[in-house]
Amino acid sequence: MYITGWTVALSAIGAVPAMWVQERAFAWVWVIGVIALACLDAALAAKPGILGVRRSAPRAVRLTESTAVELEVVNLGSRVVSGTVRDAWQPSAGATGNRHRFRLAPGEATVCVTPMRPTRRGDRRADVVTVRVAGPLRLAGRQRSIEAPATLRVLPEFASRKHLPSRLARLREIDGQTAVQLKGAGSEFDSLREYVIGDDVRAIDWRASARRAEVLVKTYRPERDRRVMIVLDTARLSAARVGDAPRIDASIEAALLLSALASKAGDRVQVSAFDRVERARAMGVSGPAMMPVLADALSTVEPALVEPDWPAVARLVQSRLSQRALVVLMTTLDASAVDGGMLDAVAAIARSHAVVLASVDDPEVRALERGRDDMHDLYAAGAAARGALEQDAVAARVRELGADVLTALPDDLAPAVADRYLDLKASGKL
Amino acid sequence: MSTASVDSARTRPAPSSPGFSRADDDAGLVTRARRRPVVLSAAALFVVLIVTLIWTSRPEDYTPLSTDNATPSGTRALAQVLRAQGVDVRQIGTMADARIDSPGTTTLAVAGTEPMAEYQIDALIEYPGDLVLIDPSQSVVDRIAPALSVEPSLDAAPVAAACEDPDAVAAESVRVADTGLAGDPGPDGMLCFPNDYGSHAYAVVDDGDRRVTLIASWPLVTNEHLAEDGNAALALRALGRHETVVWYVGDLFDPSTLTWSDGDGDGDNGADGAVPPTEIEANPDFLPPGTGSAVYLLALTALVAAWWRARRFGPLVREPLPVIVRASEATRGRARLYRRSRASGRATAALRATAAARMARRLGVPRAAGRTGLVPAVARAANRDESDVDRILYGAPPTDDSTMMSIIQELDTLESEVHRP
Repeated sequence: MYITGWTVALSAIGAVPAMWVQERAFAWVWVIGVIALACLDAALAAKPGILGVRRSAPRAVRLTESTAVELEVVNLGSRVVSGTVRDAWQPSAGATGNRHRFRLAPGEATVCVTPMRPTRRGDRRADVVTVRVAGPLRLAGRQRSIEAPATLRVLPEFASRKHLPSRLARLREIDGQTAVQLKGAGSEFDSLREYVIGDDVRAIDWRASARRAEVLVKTYRPERDRRVMIVLDTARLSAARVGDAPRIDASIEAALLLSALASKAGDRVQVSAFDRVERARAMGVSGPAMMPVLADALSTVEPALVEPDWPAVARLVQSRLSQRALVVLMTTLDASAVDGGMLDAVAAIARSHAVVLASVDDPEVRALERGRDDMHDLYAAGAAARGALEQDAVAARVRELGADVLTALPDDLAPAVADRYLDLKASGKL
Repeated sequence: MSTASVDSARTRPAPSSPGFSRADDDAGLVTRARRRPVVLSAAALFVVLIVTLIWTSRPEDYTPLSTDNATPSGTRALAQVLRAQGVDVRQIGTMADARIDSPGTTTLAVAGTEPMAEYQIDALIEYPGDLVLIDPSQSVVDRIAPALSVEPSLDAAPVAAACEDPDAVAAESVRVADTGLAGDPGPDGMLCFPNDYGSHAYAVVDDGDRRVTLIASWPLVTNEHLAEDGNAALALRALGRHETVVWYVGDLFDPSTLTWSDGDGDGDNGADGAVPPTEIEANPDFLPPGTGSAVYLLALTALVAAWWRARRFGPLVREPLPVIVRASEATRGRARLYRRSRASGRATAALRATAAARMARRLGVPRAAGRTGLVPAVARAANRDESDVDRILYGAPPTDDSTMMSIIQELDTLESEVHRP
């Protein structure tokens, strides 16, 4: 049962006769009378059990984008029902204006549309549907909650997709598909160019050079159908917040951009999120189907507060890849990672694959290092510098193992990783 | 309650397809009682108990000399005996509540006049009916019999009436306890129950129009002592002269004064020129008379409003929140450790190393070159002395905060001077 503001108003109106009567007992009689009237009204209200509800939500929505969920309310009874319904979702689903009034004749149905703007990635769940059936006097009514499960999957934002067009343009240049070069496409001489210092002597086409006065080298189109494997570290260090989002969000952005780029380049991409077990994976799909599958897989990845199992990561990579591939490890360069076996794992992977280790830098720590205002700032600068030295030491050891190290601020990580991929592609190291 | 507009909802005939969730039908009271008999009967018992307690309870009164006070210091016994004798005893909380209709047939009993203000005593003296003053203060006694004084009494042996007042004679003997009266009661007055030291327990001043009884030895009306000696006889006779007794206990927090209506039958109380205070004078209340009950009803309405707002439209929804730890926390924690242990050397060494690495990168000095390779390069780039550069970059570690500050300052200056060659 619930009461409405009308009950309160009716109770307050009693103040007027109370001025004349001047008896405390009158106040009690009035208020108890009003409550009794409200109880009677609630008793006369229809039972909420005659209402049926059904939810329908879109399967997925990208973070920061708006959508709407529908709630169908149907009157299965034999009397007219009016009231209010609340379509409850968890707060991060961003359901605003989720209360709807309805008035339904017997057998009638209505669809209530609740706009949603999710504020967090992952599966956003619906809670109960609460219906309030008003009594004939509008003083009170019956309230009941109905279980109606529904889920809305919120995909990663993929804000880094704004970097995609420029990277695709560069990819086409590397590929020899730009408009300028397409003019001469099909002619054999277009794949030959003059030798410049620094070119591999093995690329010199001696026969062509003999025909011409200058030395010509053969140029090759970059390889297609290469394997790219992205491993996201979802262990404890990925939970730390850098700026407004955890590190894992920057890693996901980078993984999405790199996957989009690599699948356009004709490479086969697979993604794995790992800490001690594999949390999510996207593999075996190529071309345009890749991105939806990947976004779906990464939408529910959350950091786990555990230490990563690096030997298992190495075993996973070895088992998934049969030929030489590019392995991108999205993790955190930290002194503790050395003890955790990260170096051994990188060494093991780097023996048979090209490895890029990408790490998110913290702008706050960089700002700390520049602080000079007081002694507290100086010590903070010292501590930040010490951290940077340790990170450099780890990076140096990783580089010694033959892997590439990338550190960038959260917003710069995705383009930096994409650029490194294009560099590798252009130099034919993939 | 923010409700989305109805426009967003489309009404249409119900589809026949199933798949609708429905609320379980509410189990009736009988069903619920059958399912959980113990809980329901316990709840019912609890409600009955609470109602009974509220019904039977009355506010406990511990005010000395109050007729509702059942403790030894109260006068409930006296009031009950008077009621049993057919006297209507009415206790008032404030003087303004008196509203005595007929002073000629009403005895006004005032216990403890010490807290009363001057204007209240004025009203008391002007009261045309019979007065019984229990434990009167000197300021009141002065207005009735100026030559009479109130004094403490230590002797508590029963003494005989020793006067002609019929009430006192009937009581035979009482004790002069706590306080007594001494001096001259005036031509109309009479002092009774003297002890060996000249203190009297009781005085009567009867000027023919009205009778003022002073019971100075107030313990004799209390529950504790009423049954002793002639206390009961004296108190009952003094208070039982008229059919109504209005009982007032002096209260420091009562600013109101006495009210009574002018005698409709006997007009002789206007003879002395005293104008009885009207109700408006007596109760300086600027609000309309019904305000109190209206506010009381609005207070109850506030409870109803609390119910209205407190009833949630469905349960709260749980949000599993992520852990929020800033990545810079570790660095800040390390900074606090440095500061607490005054590790200025360590902090400076780290800053020197990073600055050296940055300069080496800018100047293109390889990492392997070390101190011997970097110092000359930096000195050249900054146009400085080599020993100066060496002192700044690789000098002795600072031992206190001020040295650390100056070293870091020099380091920053040096770094700003180094430009790409």
